[in-house]
Amino acid sequence: MSASRVVALSYLAWRALVAHPWKRLAQRGTGAERFVASYAGEGLVPTRPEDRAIGEAASACIGCGLCEAGCALSGAAASVRDLGLRAAFRLYSRGTAELPLARTALEACAACPGCDPLCPTGVPITRIVRHLLSRLPPSYNPPPGPP
Amino acid sequence: MTAAGSLQTDVLVVGGGLAGALAALAARDAGATVALARRSPGATALSSGAVSVAPDPTALPSTTFAARAGTVESARRLAALQPGHPYAAAGVALDRLWESLEFAARELPLLAPPSPRPRWLATPSGSARPCGLCQRSMVAGDLAEAKGILAVVAPRGHLWFDAGLVAGGVNRLAALGAPRAVIARLDLFMWEEAALGRPHDLARLLEAPGAAEAVGAMLRRSLPAGAAAALFPPLLGLSTAARVPERIAHAAGIPVAEFLSDLPSVPGLRLAAAIDERLAAAGVELVRGELAGRGPGEAVSAGGREVRARSWVLASGRFVGGGIARRGTLVEPLLGIPVLASDGPFSQAGAHLASRPAASLTRRDSGSAQPLLSAGLKVDADLRPLGLDGRPVHERLFAAGAVIGGHDQAADGTGLGVAVFTGYLAGRSAAAAGGRLVPAPRGVRA
Repeated sequence: MSASRVVALSYLAWRALVAHPWKRLAQRGTGAERFVASYAGEGLVPTRPEDRAIGEAASACIGCGLCEAGCALSGAAASVRDLGLRAAFRLYSRGTAELPLARTALEACAACPGCDPLCPTGVPITRIVRHLLSRLPPSYNPPPGPP
Repeated sequence: MTAAGSLQTDVLVVGGGLAGALAALAARDAGATVALARRSPGATALSSGAVSVAPDPTALPSTTFAARAGTVESARRLAALQPGHPYAAAGVALDRLWESLEFAARELPLLAPPSPRPRWLATPSGSARPCGLCQRSMVAGDLAEAKGILAVVAPRGHLWFDAGLVAGGVNRLAALGAPRAVIARLDLFMWEEAALGRPHDLARLLEAPGAAEAVGAMLRRSLPAGAAAALFPPLLGLSTAARVPERIAHAAGIPVAEFLSDLPSVPGLRLAAAIDERLAAAGVELVRGELAGRGPGEAVSAGGREVRARSWVLASGRFVGGGIARRGTLVEPLLGIPVLASDGPFSQAGAHLASRPAASLTRRDSGSAQPLLSAGLKVDADLRPLGLDGRPVHERLFAAGAVIGGHDQAADGTGLGVAVFTGYLAGRSAAAAGGRLVPAPRGVRA
């Protein structure tokens, strides 16, 4: 057995038997709390069972646009209308990091139930929008950049 | 939307698309009391807005419009060639296809009366489809009948519809008898709130008082010499009552039509709205919401309301409407009827699609038939869904529209034609089905 192999195995043994158990003993909080501490700054928050249920409900969307015929968003600003409610929940219901990009579209939703009975595949649109709104980080400020 | 006690009717129709609507109207017309349960307008709102009943399967690409078979004869040839197709399953009842088309045009006045020769309507992708039934706003765009030059209207700066593609497609069909098409560019939607408008926004803008007249006047000024008709993008009003095509035609002085629509489809929305209006006027009880239940004769819960009906018409659509779902295997979610029918190699009796691995239902070759897309229920000549034993699952349960398998309703050019035909027949059969309100016999749930 060569010397370098001995060094490598010793390092692995130290990591497994000393360093990792020591870290486990020293750390504070639950796994979810540590996940939030590490990643919330990047906009990534844990996916809860209700988030998963919402994602599954949104995945029934086929992007047909029928809901938009009954949507008051068509009275909103052109940029918001161009994105569309459908795009908002299709694009951003999976990754919370990009959810703030849909903030204007989501907040332009008047929460009228006009779209729900229009969906041919039965997507609970208003419920999804309500849920995504509740997931928006409360104090998100867009990073400074070119307009 | 509130629970309003229980409801007893002769016929319960499940599904609110064209098939369900015609089943309800046909049963109502035959004197039955009808309730229609639905969740949403149905995939009909996603259609082009015209009903292509059957393309002539024996025609060559070079066969002229005039030499092709008429609507009913095309359906007969199709039935002879495709034994799994609903037109073939209906057997001798196919003789009533014409009757069903006339019934649909009578019940939904936005549809023009059917013509024995199909109308050839331009599609937004540069082809043309033979349509047995179409909306009145499309009639003047019939390529087989149009004479002189066809002015294809291009709203300047808008990306939704490509008039160049449409005009090019029409000109390629010149050898079949299509007129010559010329593009007429109009500054239609140049003001700010229309700049990013979606099709339904633009259609609403044209409904406003004076808007259609202004468009007509603009068209009259920029008409190419010798133009005999103008073909607009399918944006001519969300409501038939606004009479947008008539107003434009009056102001421009030539006949005006719209070509078929892509998604989102204004003519499809218009058709769905006309269906709603007609169902209400005919006295069909509309129940909104999800349905849960076991079959004819038994009480079911629909939208929080208890409904009991002597016979049922299942017109729940296919994958979009939710009549057929793919949950690992193919299932009919409401009553658990086996999914048996498809075209292609699985069209033989007894092919149980749910028992096949999903990969065997799709083909790599995109040009060949995809059995998955034509999967649905197998029906007998009375349109009653069949169980695994080859017998109807229930004496008074009928099926209509895309939930019946054996045809690819989105691609083979018979989708809404099957909806009209089977909806009409199923509605008549359901109204005529005897029997009292008794619990369903065994075996409804397969």
